[in-house]
Amino acid sequence: MLKRNRMMLLALVLTFVMILSACGGNNNANAPAEPTNSASEAGGNSTDTGTATDPAASGTIDTSKEVKLKMIFVGPKPVDYDSVFAEINKVLKEKINATIEGEFLDWSDWAQKYPLKLAANEDFDLIYSANWAGYNDQALKGGFLELTDELLNKYMPETMKAMPQVSWDQAKVNGKLYMVPQNRGESVEKLILYREDLRKKYNLPEINSPETYATYLKTIAEKEKGVAPFTPETGDWKYHNLDRVLLKQQNEWNMFDLDLPFAFKLDDPTGKVFNVYETQEFKDLLVYYKDLADNNAWSKNVLNSKNDHQADFKAGKTASITHNNGTLGALMALMRQENSPYEVALADINQGKKKSIAISTQNGTSIHATSKNVERSLMMIDLMQNDKQLHDLIMYGINGVHYEPVGDDKYKALEKNPNYTGFSNWNFNSPLNRDNEAFPQEASDLVNSWEASVYHYDLETFVFDNSKVKTEIANVGNVMLRYAIPLEYGVIEDIDKGLAELNKQLKSAGLDKIQTELQAQIDAFLANK
Amino acid sequence: MKGHTFWSDLKNYKVLLLMLLPAVAFFLLFAYIPMAGIVIAFKKYDYAGGIFGSAWNGLDNFRFFFESGDAWRVTRNTALYNIAFIAVNNILQIFAAIMLFEVGGKWFRKLTQSALFLPYFISWVVVGAIAYNLLNYDIGTVNAMLRGLGLEPVDIYNTPAYWPYILVLVAAWKSLGYGTVMYLAAITGIDTEMYEAAEIDGANIFQRIMKVTIPNLMPTVIILVLLAVGNIFRGDFGMFYNMIGNNGLLFSATDVIDTFVFRSLITSNDIGMSAAAGVFQSVLGFATIMTVNYAVRKYDKDRALF
Repeated sequence: MLKRNRMMLLALVLTFVMILSACGGNNNANAPAEPTNSASEAGGNSTDTGTATDPAASGTIDTSKEVKLKMIFVGPKPVDYDSVFAEINKVLKEKINATIEGEFLDWSDWAQKYPLKLAANEDFDLIYSANWAGYNDQALKGGFLELTDELLNKYMPETMKAMPQVSWDQAKVNGKLYMVPQNRGESVEKLILYREDLRKKYNLPEINSPETYATYLKTIAEKEKGVAPFTPETGDWKYHNLDRVLLKQQNEWNMFDLDLPFAFKLDDPTGKVFNVYETQEFKDLLVYYKDLADNNAWSKNVLNSKNDHQADFKAGKTASITHNNGTLGALMALMRQENSPYEVALADINQGKKKSIAISTQNGTSIHATSKNVERSLMMIDLMQNDKQLHDLIMYGINGVHYEPVGDDKYKALEKNPNYTGFSNWNFNSPLNRDNEAFPQEASDLVNSWEASVYHYDLETFVFDNSKVKTEIANVGNVMLRYAIPLEYGVIEDIDKGLAELNKQLKSAGLDKIQTELQAQIDAFLANK
Repeated sequence: MKGHTFWSDLKNYKVLLLMLLPAVAFFLLFAYIPMAGIVIAFKKYDYAGGIFGSAWNGLDNFRFFFESGDAWRVTRNTALYNIAFIAVNNILQIFAAIMLFEVGGKWFRKLTQSALFLPYFISWVVVGAIAYNLLNYDIGTVNAMLRGLGLEPVDIYNTPAYWPYILVLVAAWKSLGYGTVMYLAAITGIDTEMYEAAEIDGANIFQRIMKVTIPNLMPTVIILVLLAVGNIFRGDFGMFYNMIGNNGLLFSATDVIDTFVFRSLITSNDIGMSAAAGVFQSVLGFATIMTVNYAVRKYDKDRALF
């Protein structure tokens, strides 16, 4: 009896030790890395552009008390964070008697950490915000401070002068502003980057339409062994990676939210939304995709692949990818700089179609709802966007180390450039931005040629308040992943059956309820215009 | 011998109890105190109100799960996978532990033990990548071998039927070393006098295993199984997510509560709704462990957990 008890106790202790060690390990892994800021460390050489415009700050606003601002960025902490931010702080201290410390949420888990920073009400003043980082949602939940006109006028005079009204309007959620958006239009349309050398090798026609693109993909699949014709971007996407090109742009639609199957026609003044999966256009596209899949245009197990499409393209393992102009242009620039053996080119396969530019909330800065340094935070944003010296520092790093200015609006990336890049400083985009001089001319030309096709529509500034249909949205998103994605990548044999099943599941997930709610909000929005 | 009073037990087992102390503190801090947070599942969480100040919204947070039409499927999958894991893993681990114990040679034993233990340290992310490279259709090792032998390749990632077997196999491979060491420790703790007595009585090696080792191992087995049963409605998210990812085609066979909830809420980030799913799992787990413990008590009072 006693022996058995002792055994029991031993077993119990062992078990607890096991559990403890298991949990302990986990906890450590999840502990957020706390970046420490050694602002005192004097960084290399100081910047030479002394054309700083002195903000109205110093005169009227009391900045006698020194404050430390904390800002959350997404993306990894840059290698040269210490030296660049030391330099930034020197200037900031002088101008508004403040210093800034950055905290960085790595790309691998920012999506989990970002909402937690707000939900846990951690101590910080500013946070990078963006429509793709749940700006509307976090604003509605009360994570961000509402920015009133009074605040803006008082603390951000330069920004008020520089920012167009439409950018402010686009950033409003239910009529209230929670973000200082970026001040630079940016194209969101996706392009195709492909291997021009392969196109020439097989004597294929110029890629300028969905059909010529399909020909290119099929030829590569057939003749170029070991190269995947197309590789999608990995992630929790609920659409085919090419849908933004082939469904949205091709048909001149827009979708509010890539997590919902609703679109509207760009030129429809009534803003009537419809279920994309029930359209003939989608069905035709499925046939197009199925044909590609059957001809091995992408890996059969593409849904499980975790390959980085850009890295694969650079290494010559895939013959085409899709992304926006900026990203693809940067990749081209890098490949040319490294003397890549591959000749690459951009293709717009929806020529002449209406193009939309990113709404201002693509990148922005929000103030934490419980920040104690609202004034100084706003002043800091004002400087970062409109003060040439600080703008250059935050965007490109230290002059002579990370970049070299070329004229007023271009820069040359120096060897150390990769040590200060890769995180979200895009919220400070402004007319002061410099372009990389190595950025491919054709990429810039393409975007410039779009100027004429940029289309502004009434619903550009509409923001969907989804709080009443959260349950349905959760379930619809799940159905899209489970039924629509396999269908779009052509792994389901019978398209008609698959499509019918998808729509049936969507109905039972509550699609109609979301549509009714969305339409009601749009109607109200348009009536107020 | 004196009777078992609290104080005498405390004195007798003070070292063991001291070892227990960190675990008790851990659970108090990280399991019991945070339990108050369960209220989030019944609230419409907003940042200003926080955990206790947000408005109540009844059972609203539970709706998404039960209205999805998938609640039964994912709950069933979770329970069945876990039952399979518990059964297969424990049997293999006990088997491996006895083998290691009986095979002499300290060197060999240590080496094997370490080799078995290795997979435990490999992250699921890496395991997922290894599995993809082994099993994928175009360039996977398995299919390359099949093609080399002139056979038809198998499209594993588009065929749900294979996955229950693959997942059970991978789970067993990964946890084998850890469990084996636990059981080996328990076997080492068995009084050697019993083995000596058995030998004197003329027991052969199989009789020794069946009559001495296994019966003495039972308390450990029961405790471990009981503890595992309490988590039967919690899917191993790391495993399922990294092995299956967002491949919707396989969900019918591989979706567990955790992956389902993750997918549903990844975009909305609703704390209340994810808490509701957690509460659902906990309630089911609690009911299961009470039932099983009751059954064990009926069978043998001393072997029950409580």
